[in-house]
Amino acid sequence: MRDIDYKDKGGILNPLKSLSFFGRSSVTVPLEPRAASANYRGFHLNDWEACIGCSTCQKVCDNAAITMVSIPDLPQDPAKGIRNLRPAIDYGRCCWCALCVDLCPTGSISLSREYVHTCLDSELDSYFVLPDSNGIHGTPYPKGWAKSEDADLVALERARMEELPPPERIGNFNEIVAGYDANQAIIEASRCVQCGMCFDACPTHMNAPEYIRAIWKGDLEQAVREIYRTNPFAHTCGRVCTHRCEDACSVGHRGTPIAIRWLKRYAMDAVDHERVKRIAAEGKARFLSGKRVAVVGAGPAGLTAAFDLIKQGYEVTVFEARPKAGGMVRYGIPDYRLPQDRIDRDVDVIASLGVKIRYGTQVGTDITMAELERDYDAVILTIGLWMGRSTRIPGSDHPRVKRAVTLLRDVAEKVKVSVPASAIVIGGGNVAMDVARTIARLQKQTYGQVKVTVTALEDLEHFLADPEEIKEAREEGVEILPARGPQEILFKPRKYEVDKIHGLRTWRVLSIFDAQGRFAPRHDEADEQIHEGEMVVEAIGQAAEVEVLGEELTERLDWNRGRLEIDDQGRTNLSWLWAAGDMVRGPDVVSAVADGHRVALSINGVLSIREDAA
Amino acid sequence: MRPENYEAQRQPPSHEYELNIGPNHPGIEGNYAFKLRLHGDRVLEGKADAGYLHRGFEKLMEGRLWIQNLAITPRICVPDPVPMEVSYCLAVEELCGLEIPERAQWLRVLQLELSRIAAHLFTFGGHAATTGMYSPMFWGIADRDLVLDLFEELTGGRVYHIYNIPGGVRRDAPDGFLDRVRSTLDYLDSRLPDYDNLLFTNQVFVHRAKGVGTMSREQALEWGVTGPNLRATGLEFDVRRDDPYLVYDDLDFDIPTEEAGDAWARTLVRRKELVQSIRIARQVIAALPSIAGPIRCPIPNPLAWNVPAGSVYTRVESSKGELAWYVVSNGGERPYRTHVRGPSQMHAVQVLEKLSVGCRLEDVAQTMFSLDACPPEVDR
Amino acid sequence: MIEGAVSSYEKIKSKTSLREILEVACSFEASARDFYTDLIPKVGKNMRWLVEELAAEEQQHFDLLNGLASREDIAEQIKAEVRIPTTDTRFSDAVQLPDLGAKPDDQAVLQYAMGREQIAMEHYRSLAEGTEPGPIHDLFGYLADEETKHKTELEKVYYEVVHSGGV
Repeated sequence: MRDIDYKDKGGILNPLKSLSFFGRSSVTVPLEPRAASANYRGFHLNDWEACIGCSTCQKVCDNAAITMVSIPDLPQDPAKGIRNLRPAIDYGRCCWCALCVDLCPTGSISLSREYVHTCLDSELDSYFVLPDSNGIHGTPYPKGWAKSEDADLVALERARMEELPPPERIGNFNEIVAGYDANQAIIEASRCVQCGMCFDACPTHMNAPEYIRAIWKGDLEQAVREIYRTNPFAHTCGRVCTHRCEDACSVGHRGTPIAIRWLKRYAMDAVDHERVKRIAAEGKARFLSGKRVAVVGAGPAGLTAAFDLIKQGYEVTVFEARPKAGGMVRYGIPDYRLPQDRIDRDVDVIASLGVKIRYGTQVGTDITMAELERDYDAVILTIGLWMGRSTRIPGSDHPRVKRAVTLLRDVAEKVKVSVPASAIVIGGGNVAMDVARTIARLQKQTYGQVKVTVTALEDLEHFLADPEEIKEAREEGVEILPARGPQEILFKPRKYEVDKIHGLRTWRVLSIFDAQGRFAPRHDEADEQIHEGEMVVEAIGQAAEVEVLGEELTERLDWNRGRLEIDDQGRTNLSWLWAAGDMVRGPDVVSAVADGHRVALSINGVLSIREDAA
Repeated sequence: MRPENYEAQRQPPSHEYELNIGPNHPGIEGNYAFKLRLHGDRVLEGKADAGYLHRGFEKLMEGRLWIQNLAITPRICVPDPVPMEVSYCLAVEELCGLEIPERAQWLRVLQLELSRIAAHLFTFGGHAATTGMYSPMFWGIADRDLVLDLFEELTGGRVYHIYNIPGGVRRDAPDGFLDRVRSTLDYLDSRLPDYDNLLFTNQVFVHRAKGVGTMSREQALEWGVTGPNLRATGLEFDVRRDDPYLVYDDLDFDIPTEEAGDAWARTLVRRKELVQSIRIARQVIAALPSIAGPIRCPIPNPLAWNVPAGSVYTRVESSKGELAWYVVSNGGERPYRTHVRGPSQMHAVQVLEKLSVGCRLEDVAQTMFSLDACPPEVDR
Repeated sequence: MIEGAVSSYEKIKSKTSLREILEVACSFEASARDFYTDLIPKVGKNMRWLVEELAAEEQQHFDLLNGLASREDIAEQIKAEVRIPTTDTRFSDAVQLPDLGAKPDDQAVLQYAMGREQIAMEHYRSLAEGTEPGPIHDLFGYLADEETKHKTELEKVYYEVVHSGGV
């Protein structure tokens, strides 16, 4: 470009050179709006199929332009983290900054290339819009500023959890996860967008957004306080919960969900145990109601109910058949997933509030239901599912054919277990994985090598166990064979002793469920295999040991297809008897906790009616 | 009544009168009021009355998250919004210890220079209009529109870009964008002779602008004048060279100055700066294709972002002068205090008042425009 | 071994008239019904629903077959001859027939019931294969399908009871 000499050069006539512009066409603006650029920030579009109603756009909008509106016909599914809310925009407030687009967890909201809207005074309401894929005027404008990788502000990646690698964990029962340190916990907690989908999905509606926020702020005691609002089994759930919360997490739709479970673990471990006890005791009633409640079974359901009731002033006694409390959590979940000293802490908090736990007291033998009926104002049955089922295939009555729950119980009680050099586990659920990995560790400790084979009816896509369990089991040397149906246990006959188990004969499973989804396994008998092992462990199902109720009580109770008939409050047909937990809801710890709350609420409702009003 | 008890009612002398210029006035840049006391055609005293554009941004920013404030920053100075965004981002980046990736730095420089070009084109028109010549204004706005087209393509918005974010920029340049920048710069280069013919060698304009609003270098320094206004008094000071930020120390450019310190000198400085900005922009678009990498460094979830406590003063050279942000954080998710050191605040208030004394009425508007005082920046 | 199964099958094999086949089938159903009915007071109330349902099912089968035997429109056909079918002794997948013992539990009862349905299904299927196409063939086919349906229903119950913890 050429420079110009400004020193007053040029004559008076220089400006007249601009007259040549009369000959040029002028710069005009066309009447139709011109097409906007590809990244233009125009009016909103929202893909209602992708939108989950998490309200993050509302939270980040700096002008409070977004209101979430509930649309009745849209699907809502708390378990998957989907709400029937959709954002409505007030264009009198919106500044088109597109932060809503960049922070949308699913990428459903975007800005289009449409930018013109006019209306009469009487149509001012048209500035309030419920954007969908059709745009503000229903005319198809292409997307402008939409979710893209470089403009994505959602924290999609989770803080890595350190875990013991397979060689370091196979020879012991040490806890596999190392837990977050303070830095990792704060970073992980900062990913949360506080949408509350986790709260909706949790069976006991834990205040997860609140405790995550408290962890982020560094206020760990507040985090514990928020946790104890709904869950007195937080050391346990912080390690082994089935994390419905994480399945519903809105960040998890495109990224990895917030590690809600590990954050709970972190908060509970970070606060001193004595402080936890004091926090848990906050709100305890200072009076005694004078009523007495008995709980049969010191598992999550029973102890949660006990926790609630003792805080409301009831006198609570828990009868536990085993020497320690915890139920299936202690006697079914191996230490490498949940160390027993953590369970001790959860139980200690509850016991420290005044709950009396009578250990080694089996209802049915040491004390009868009739005595409980007589001596207590309410009784809660939370006996769990402690009876392991058997396939009853030929040979399954041999003494070295074990039920998984029994074997796990023995290991937890540190009973001397005869460790087989090779073992076969029948079953494909989490219990099968637990027992296989437990046997693997015992084998490593005793023989220096692992030989466990797991056979399950399901094929790998439909395995009932968690994918992490399957992966970790394989890393530990467990062989997993899907789609095998057990037919018979084979023996090596011995002259003077009980026959030794040789192995298991299986047929390949072609399908498990029929077209209507009913259990109807079909086998390919030509595909037969023999799996060698000295011990066979069955992990195919569990049942409640209802014989402890005794014949007379069983007759008085109402049953529904083999299980206790309870109303939606957990109460049986007998006015003094409630039931909760695995035995009525199926095996799941956090559901048991929720159930414990439910029956405690019901009992409090019933027992707190004053006698003169009754 | 006795003569000694008689008190005359004091009235202003009959040859003085008060005149309000603004807040709505074509001779005022933006919404701004200037009260004059005149003696015939000469100004005896001018009183600046700011506040018509006070939107309370600094206080608003205290109540919003750090990320939400991005939408407020470009609105503080409308003609030249990018330095506002960039300066805020630089302040937050310094507080957080964030390192901006290289590509983002170059993209920021490109934006800053394009914004400077657009602001100067705007100002030429404004200055010319105060002398009664309106064609440069139409030309300036039309040519500036082409630069705004470039911004629309890069950022999604023409004026309020909301494109810079602590850590970098929000999007990468689209394919072919650099070619379009080049062709726009070529076009602007080709237009410069037209502007020179119409405006910068136009003797009417030259005579009108010379001698108006003269200040000496000492006066400029005492009054806190910065930017082209200061360079028009002969002092070669530019934040880009003397306190470099982003990649300015890798770039080749001159700092034009003039000696006279009057309106004509100030306009000339801007005319020469336009050329320098085009030169810088050409260097950036030549360098960008070979600079790969991310356009943003990772930042925490914006909804849960505590900026470490501290206070920082970051300055950039805007088209109007030294623009700085003073940001104080108390470690929370919202700023504790943000303060904008807007260059126009000195220019529009005290400098204008001082320069208008003794000025002819018809030159008051020209004085303000030649100072390129931007009221949105004054009031915030 | 299921009670009377082998000898009943022999009975069917030796029969020559459809009416007689239906009579034997009726007695099958009746004997099963009686077996279940017998168990009702012996099992705990939590299990009683199962044997009650099974007894009711068998009663239904019995009524069905009884009704067929006395129908007018097939009176002619049921006097017809039936060829003796061959035995196909394939057993149910993974489910064996245990000895129920004095106090059978729900799993034992179900396994017995499913085994019984399987055998019945096989019987009727073999009979169907052994007859000429016609109303009798259709009748056996229908009975075989009924037994298959019952068996798959029981398998569903088995899955619920044994594999799902009863909930």
